[in-house]
Amino acid sequence: MSKFTKEMVNDYAEKLLIGLTEEENKMVLDEFEVIDKHIDSINELPNISSVEPMTHCLDDFVYELREDEEEDSVPIDELLQNCDDYVGSEVRVPKVVG
Amino acid sequence: MSYMDKGLVELHELLKNGEVTSDELVKESIAKSHEVQDKYNAFVTILDDAKGGEVTDNILSAIPYGVKDNYSTKGILSTGSSNTLKDYVPFFNATAIDKLNAAGAVKVNKTVLDEFGMGGTGTTGHTGIVKNPWDPTRMCAGSSSGSACAVAAGVYPYATGSDTGDSIRKPAAYCGIVGYKPTYGMISRYGLFAFASSLDHCGALTRSVEDAAIVVDNMKGIDKNDMTTWDSSDIHLYDNLSKDVKGKKLCYIKEICNPSMYPNAGSELKEHLDNFYTVVDKCKELGMTVDEVSVDSKLLNALAAVYVVISCAEATSNMSNLTGIIFGPRSEGENYIDMMTDYRTKGFSPLIKRRFIIGSYVLQAQNKDRYFHNAQRVRRLLVDRWKELFKDYDAVILPVGSGPAKKFETDNDCVEEDTQILEEHLQVGNFGGFPSITIPDGFVNGLPVGVNITGNCYDDQNVLNIAYALEGTMNYKNQIAKEVK
Repeated sequence: MSKFTKEMVNDYAEKLLIGLTEEENKMVLDEFEVIDKHIDSINELPNISSVEPMTHCLDDFVYELREDEEEDSVPIDELLQNCDDYVGSEVRVPKVVG
Repeated sequence: MSYMDKGLVELHELLKNGEVTSDELVKESIAKSHEVQDKYNAFVTILDDAKGGEVTDNILSAIPYGVKDNYSTKGILSTGSSNTLKDYVPFFNATAIDKLNAAGAVKVNKTVLDEFGMGGTGTTGHTGIVKNPWDPTRMCAGSSSGSACAVAAGVYPYATGSDTGDSIRKPAAYCGIVGYKPTYGMISRYGLFAFASSLDHCGALTRSVEDAAIVVDNMKGIDKNDMTTWDSSDIHLYDNLSKDVKGKKLCYIKEICNPSMYPNAGSELKEHLDNFYTVVDKCKELGMTVDEVSVDSKLLNALAAVYVVISCAEATSNMSNLTGIIFGPRSEGENYIDMMTDYRTKGFSPLIKRRFIIGSYVLQAQNKDRYFHNAQRVRRLLVDRWKELFKDYDAVILPVGSGPAKKFETDNDCVEEDTQILEEHLQVGNFGGFPSITIPDGFVNGLPVGVNITGNCYDDQNVLNIAYALEGTMNYKNQIAKEVK
């Protein structure tokens, strides 16, 4: 029996604030089965657990902190052009505390 | 007289000599944009009020180009081809766009992509599918579908693209043009909508290697807003283009392209591989050596899953800011949870939802080592193997995909049981940040196919020169799509 279930997929979708149709749920389930099979084959690679995970393309980054210089900020008028609901320079947002 | 089917250097000369004006070029490009939109649906936005620019010594000056719609463009709709950002107008430009502006380039449209770049078919953008200009019953591939379609159709000489798996290099092959993704960090990603940050690259779609070098020369550069960029000021790709590749060493990978690996191959795959070996012979005629090498099939077979796991995990995280509250159209609801759920449920396409759920699953504490970390481990093994090859070879040469553009009924965005490494191998270029270019190398069934050349990090010039020399042995430079079906 598969370790992936319709309920499990819906649970993950809910955590992500996404609703799924039956068809979408099945697509996820089908893909999980294939990915899991590939992951099984990865686990068969010799000494895989001793390999350092690669998190990035380049391993020779030079990190340099910028000087702490003051810069102009974006004009509020420009920022508000993307906003449908505001009063003055204040943006109306949904209530998030009780 | 048509101009938009010409290359950049020729257009620059015509402009400098006063034989055509920038306004005339822009007018032609916008008119062609509308024709291409009607036939193939390549654009989210056409900038009908775009005006010609000043002609300077910069080759890109006063010449029209297209922008993939996941690049932020100040004051211009930038949707990522998603309903979730269908009304988003950025207040800043992506750094690469600022650089093209500084060069005097004139943008005339924003091109359709697979939603947020997360697809390879050109069918998931919120404005509908993009059709292939060689055969409208076939796809352009993705995610830079609209950019590839428009450049191939002669709307302008180039468009920007982005590439997380093969999103510049496969559409280029399907549309018979050039697609170039330089070394990771050569072009700033600031202002590019993030998909999977450790794999995302900016790049260009053009109709010649020369134009690809010119465009990337103008897009690249260190950027204080992208800490992964590096100083490439001593790299001048166009100035140093050379067809002198005698003595260069190439290799191809047996497990990916030897016909013996595909005993049940159909006619398109057979022709595509036959064509590839003809191209290998052309490389040898140029004085290069080409060897067949072997890579462990177990590693290659894991490649697709590695890509899906890493890209989905990074995407889930990157796109958690899409709530409809700080970007995009705000949904109705009793409370903010309902508002966000409604926005995300209605706004994202099924493909994106699928990827988010996979990404969330592989990042759960109890699953992380089995899926995410193991995928990252195999990423390292694959990259290390390619780097071993680069100790002996200047570049790896491989066919792109399993043939020409696929019909629309094919869904190649799923990881399926029969996934072929031939379709997925370009992702190694993203795992390692390698410079990688696709050029057209022939026709199968009347449709273009492509070959890819990938080299070691920072070795972009070598990769471009090999492509430049090889391009010179074929007749596909600056080709414009002609409907064949």
